[in-house]
Amino acid sequence: MSTAPAPQPPQQQTQQGKAKFTVYTIEECPACGQKTKRAFQVGDYITKDSANCSKCGNVTKITLIYAEPVVKSK
Amino acid sequence: MPTLANMSLQFGSDVSSLLNIVWLLSFFVFIVYGQRIQVYIVGNDISRALNRLKLMKDKSRKEAVDYFLGTGKTSADPAVKIDEFLEYVTIMPVDLDPQGIVGKIEHITETRDERVRSEVKKMLPNAEPIKVSVAENILEIASSLNMIHKIVRHYYLLGKKTNSYILLVQLQMIMPQVLMEADALINAVDTFKLGQPVGDGIGPIIASKYMVNLPKQVVAKDTVMSVTEYKGRTLYVLKAEGPMGYVGEPGLAIQRVIEEMNVPLNAIIMVDAALKLEGEKTGDVAEGIGAAIGGIGTDKFRIEEVSSKHKVPVYAILVKQSILEAITVMRKDITDASDRVHTLIANLIEEKTKEGDKVLLAGIGNSLGVGQGA
Repeated sequence: MSTAPAPQPPQQQTQQGKAKFTVYTIEECPACGQKTKRAFQVGDYITKDSANCSKCGNVTKITLIYAEPVVKSK
Repeated sequence: MPTLANMSLQFGSDVSSLLNIVWLLSFFVFIVYGQRIQVYIVGNDISRALNRLKLMKDKSRKEAVDYFLGTGKTSADPAVKIDEFLEYVTIMPVDLDPQGIVGKIEHITETRDERVRSEVKKMLPNAEPIKVSVAENILEIASSLNMIHKIVRHYYLLGKKTNSYILLVQLQMIMPQVLMEADALINAVDTFKLGQPVGDGIGPIIASKYMVNLPKQVVAKDTVMSVTEYKGRTLYVLKAEGPMGYVGEPGLAIQRVIEEMNVPLNAIIMVDAALKLEGEKTGDVAEGIGAAIGGIGTDKFRIEEVSSKHKVPVYAILVKQSILEAITVMRKDITDASDRVHTLIANLIEEKTKEGDKVLLAGIGNSLGVGQGA
């Protein structure tokens, strides 16, 4: 997935059993297809209109919300 | 006069006699008290697990009280009402004569759900629907943990009271699975509080892709449908209404589409999360035939009834996940299955139907955090 970096709000980590996860929101521009990955914020839901596209300025839609395991830095 | 050599011989034989006595005694003790010792060891094991369950139960209750206090003005102390909810029982209908039992079960569960929702709305009069649905889900989790703790405690105390080794050992054997389910439930609380999609929401996520920017109609309680066109076929897409944490009534919705709206469906495609077997990978996709829907069985019954009556083939697409993954925040492994599911839906529509046909696509699961577009 080609994603552009976006200003990151503080990442909320969630504990599921023994593993720690960070939840991300994927915004997609319906006009140019630009995808942006950012940390999940309370109130986000799939199909919700989100921020303006950094490439073409159109209103983006949230297309996915998912959790990824936190990678421990050595 | 004993010599030194004789003394050591005597000493050695004394030690071996002592060991023999200890061995015989322990043999005797284990024969007579063996079961009691095992009851003690097994009982301790269960007691530790029971303490963990109690902690989880108390935590879920506290989370529920905090959520009600933090969500809005509650009319009274929510703790009292929540404690009442936790003890709320649903009495299932008698099954001596099973004819018509599904209708009775449906009636009872609907009445219970309505009652819970109206009580929650009364406690949170100005809260948005999503917060009411989250409160309902958190209460359900707290209630489940309360019930699990009660049942395990019952058998533990009964086993101890009657000194029943068999009862305690059976309980000890199933405890790891009970704890795994309880762990999944307690971990789900945070996901629900934040309104994040859960693994079980993969069905609604798939369906929502076909519903964006289309008009919606309510076809059953908490269930919405859109009609679109897909490769010359009319596609009826339904899911539970999001982003609330609803599962809707897909069984009733499909029945209404066929029998009340008189849509001559040529195929039904159901997408749902399925519990994986140990060894299977999260996000694996399986295809099959039949109604892909869990729950108490009333929706499944309706779908099977109406599809067999009208000879509509039902195709299932399942996304594998564990119980923990199904009720906690959506994992990337599960969303990664979306492309494969869309491909399978396209293949099914193209291979099993022809242009001009009518196909119903049902995204089954909890719609928390999954809307359906404007």
